[in-house]
Amino acid sequence: MSILDIKNLNLAFKTLTGQVDVLHGIDLNIAAGEKVALVGESGSGKSVTARVVLGLLQETRSARINGSVVFDGQDINAMPARKRAALRGTKMSMIFQDPTSSLNPMFTVGNQFTEVLRRRDHKLSKMASHDRATKLLEEVAIPDPARVLGSYAFQLSGGMNQRVMIAMALANRPKLLLADEPGTALDVSVQAQTVSLMRDLVEENGTSVLFISHNLGVVREFADRVYVIYRGRIVEDGPTAALFANPLHAYTRALMSAVPRITGAGLPEVPEVSDDFLAARVSHTEAS
Amino acid sequence: MSAVLRLLLHRLGISLIVLIGVSMLIFSIARIIPGDPARIALGPNATVEQITKLRGEMNLDAPLPVQYGFFLADISRGDLGTSLYTNRPVTQDIAQFLPATLELVFLAGAIMVAVGLPLGILAARYRGRWPDHFVRVLALLTVSAPGFVWAVILMLLFAFYLPLFPIAGRLSDIYEIERTTGFLTIDTLLAGNFAAFKDAVHHLILPAVALSLSGIGQAARLTRANMVETYDKPYIEMAQAYGFHPSRIARSYAFKPSLIPSLTIIGLDFAVMLGNAFLVEAVFAWPGLSRYGVAVILRKDLNAIMGTVLVIAVTFLIVNIIVDLLIAFLNPRIRYSTRGTS
Amino acid sequence: MIRTLRILAGNPLSLLGLLLVCLITLAAILAPWIAPFPTHNGAVVDFLNNNRPPSAQNWMGTDLVGRDIFSRILFAYQISLTLGVVVLAIATPIGTIIGLLAGYLGGWTEMILMRIVDVFLSIPPLVLAIAMMGVLEPTLTNAMLAVTAMWWPWYARLVYSIARGEREEGYVLAAEVIGAGATHIAFREILPNCLPAIITKMTLDMGFVIIIASSLSFLGLGVQPPTADLGSMVAEGARYLPDSWWLTIFPGLAILIAVFGFNLLGDGLRDVLGEDE
Repeated sequence: MSILDIKNLNLAFKTLTGQVDVLHGIDLNIAAGEKVALVGESGSGKSVTARVVLGLLQETRSARINGSVVFDGQDINAMPARKRAALRGTKMSMIFQDPTSSLNPMFTVGNQFTEVLRRRDHKLSKMASHDRATKLLEEVAIPDPARVLGSYAFQLSGGMNQRVMIAMALANRPKLLLADEPGTALDVSVQAQTVSLMRDLVEENGTSVLFISHNLGVVREFADRVYVIYRGRIVEDGPTAALFANPLHAYTRALMSAVPRITGAGLPEVPEVSDDFLAARVSHTEAS
Repeated sequence: MSAVLRLLLHRLGISLIVLIGVSMLIFSIARIIPGDPARIALGPNATVEQITKLRGEMNLDAPLPVQYGFFLADISRGDLGTSLYTNRPVTQDIAQFLPATLELVFLAGAIMVAVGLPLGILAARYRGRWPDHFVRVLALLTVSAPGFVWAVILMLLFAFYLPLFPIAGRLSDIYEIERTTGFLTIDTLLAGNFAAFKDAVHHLILPAVALSLSGIGQAARLTRANMVETYDKPYIEMAQAYGFHPSRIARSYAFKPSLIPSLTIIGLDFAVMLGNAFLVEAVFAWPGLSRYGVAVILRKDLNAIMGTVLVIAVTFLIVNIIVDLLIAFLNPRIRYSTRGTS
Repeated sequence: MIRTLRILAGNPLSLLGLLLVCLITLAAILAPWIAPFPTHNGAVVDFLNNNRPPSAQNWMGTDLVGRDIFSRILFAYQISLTLGVVVLAIATPIGTIIGLLAGYLGGWTEMILMRIVDVFLSIPPLVLAIAMMGVLEPTLTNAMLAVTAMWWPWYARLVYSIARGEREEGYVLAAEVIGAGATHIAFREILPNCLPAIITKMTLDMGFVIIIASSLSFLGLGVQPPTADLGSMVAEGARYLPDSWWLTIFPGLAILIAVFGFNLLGDGLRDVLGEDE
């Protein structure tokens, strides 16, 4: 059964000058334990999709959302804000792009860990939370958990903070993990390490993942299935192997042939815009 | 050496330089008066002999840099000269009047923080919605009138029409309290006279509120502005992504990082209050430094004027050093900036 | 400019501020013609009608010597606005030039100029002005002088902080590369980037200058009687509270309304021009 089922999701922002449409009828499905990637350039709508799933954009008054986002059998769009908030940090969680600036500079890692763990167990004592956090940090191969828990994010390396973020995101054993370009701010080798660490952990826990990225190399390593998004529309989707072996949509091909910039941490640049990119969606069947 | 101690020494050094600058500024102000300071001090009926004698005592015939040297030497010994108005050492006058002003300003500062910061948090938490608009109008309104206008309005409302508070003074006449510190709230407690303490606080409230009003507006607006900036930070989105309660995010995750830039300005607001105390003390007949200052200014009592300004500047510098240390203490980035180098 | 005005007019609070500022400016300019008792600005005495509460004839009552308070408030606005305009017209260019020099040139110029600014900023502004008025004769000109002397450092600091940031920007480096002179870069390249912040601050400061000036005259250190001034009107009336409340409340509210207008307008401008404190 599917853990996340998005049907005909439309998103627009109301601005001073009028309405800006961002998503035009997204359909996306993630099965239990499945790792799915959503690939596209910046501005394609992939990050806002994650924020709709998480229920964050529903709280923004300028956002107009239509369609259904069924998570674990319940439509996120239809539920009251309180219920949405109750899911966050417990049944679903998120990993952000820049681990260091995503941790609050005024609180120690340990402090923030306690807050996260108390999302599930409100009465968790400081001691118990410290023990639990230590175990979780060991899981992400942090050698000296006690020191890390007593530190502030700015005292740790980016790679270390990334591991902390992964441990936090999986701390309450969520059913769905949203990863928004994890580690893009880090250098390439650290990024690769943390992604493979994340893959091992989610496979072990059977966590479903929506992995958002523009880095095709990482996506190929990580995901079971891939959706390609272009200007708020899914243009192609299918099993990773099939899609990479035989990209059918013009945009997917352009994305794959684009040479990653040397300076931009593997950021592909699609050199030109073609009318073909707006062609209808192509879905690979499991057989292809 | 710890980072905080090094910061303290650095700040003390800068303050010393600024203080020398302040003394130069005060000295220049005192010397730009058109006319003879000695003649002004002695009044129109003074004889030539009296003026010559006073000119000699004030070293007015020496070149200006030498005069400044004397001035600096005097103040570094803690000698601010004799007041021509009270015929007492200026330091003694100030010691008598300063505690009343500080007591008022400290309470006003506390009210400013206790009311202004929560209002700012509220506005930022509900930014763009009605609590935000309400706080904005309230803040703009409170900063739109000088302290004496608020003092008059508050006095009319809460001392005359609704006689909730006393109209003037620091303490009712029925209490005889020994002035140990000069802070009546402390002295009454030292004397163990709780009724007098309540009376002193009762007298303090209205002037302190009048003095704090514009500060409340400033603090609320500033806190809101800094917090709105903080709300765009990734760690706030992270806190939201983990489903933390919005009020908790506002009070803790967004407020604490925003407090650090706010504190500096709150220190500056303290300076503004020291100035505004002149206005509020006048309305409430508060026997503080400001009333002394106005009295000596009207009498062109130069030593007393210079002394008063200098003491206020020093008070302000001390408050700013305290604020800087507080920031260093609150900000882990500064607290831990020299790990391992001690 | 047009665009700025249009956005301002779209916000009810800013629009209210703009209206208040226009109304008060007009009232001040037209005071000799619109005041019900135009002669009451000076030393006029009408003891038959002294200390009267508000009535159809004297909307805000009369003062202790029988002058119409409403008329005097209109004339007092003339003094307040003139003082504000003169102070800002002198303090802003001085502060801007010093801030630009310190921010763009850096080095010793920056060190010395900014320490001087620090000295001025370390004395509460009102105290500094009061001290200056203490040694000067209390006249309108001297009050302007005293307020100007304490005002320029705030502009120096504002422009300095912007200029220091801009110094490292690409367009400044580009201008340096093509050999533009320091004056050209400071005034033609950096200054335009400081203008929105300066304009916003000037609008807000009109209100604050009015507050400081009325505070000086409240303490008897500003404009002298019989000239109408809001601060001294409040001071005179304060002794007759609570019975003759109109003596203080109307001049006090007059200050509040004028400053509130400038603050609303300045706050709206800050939103439009995107300037922070």
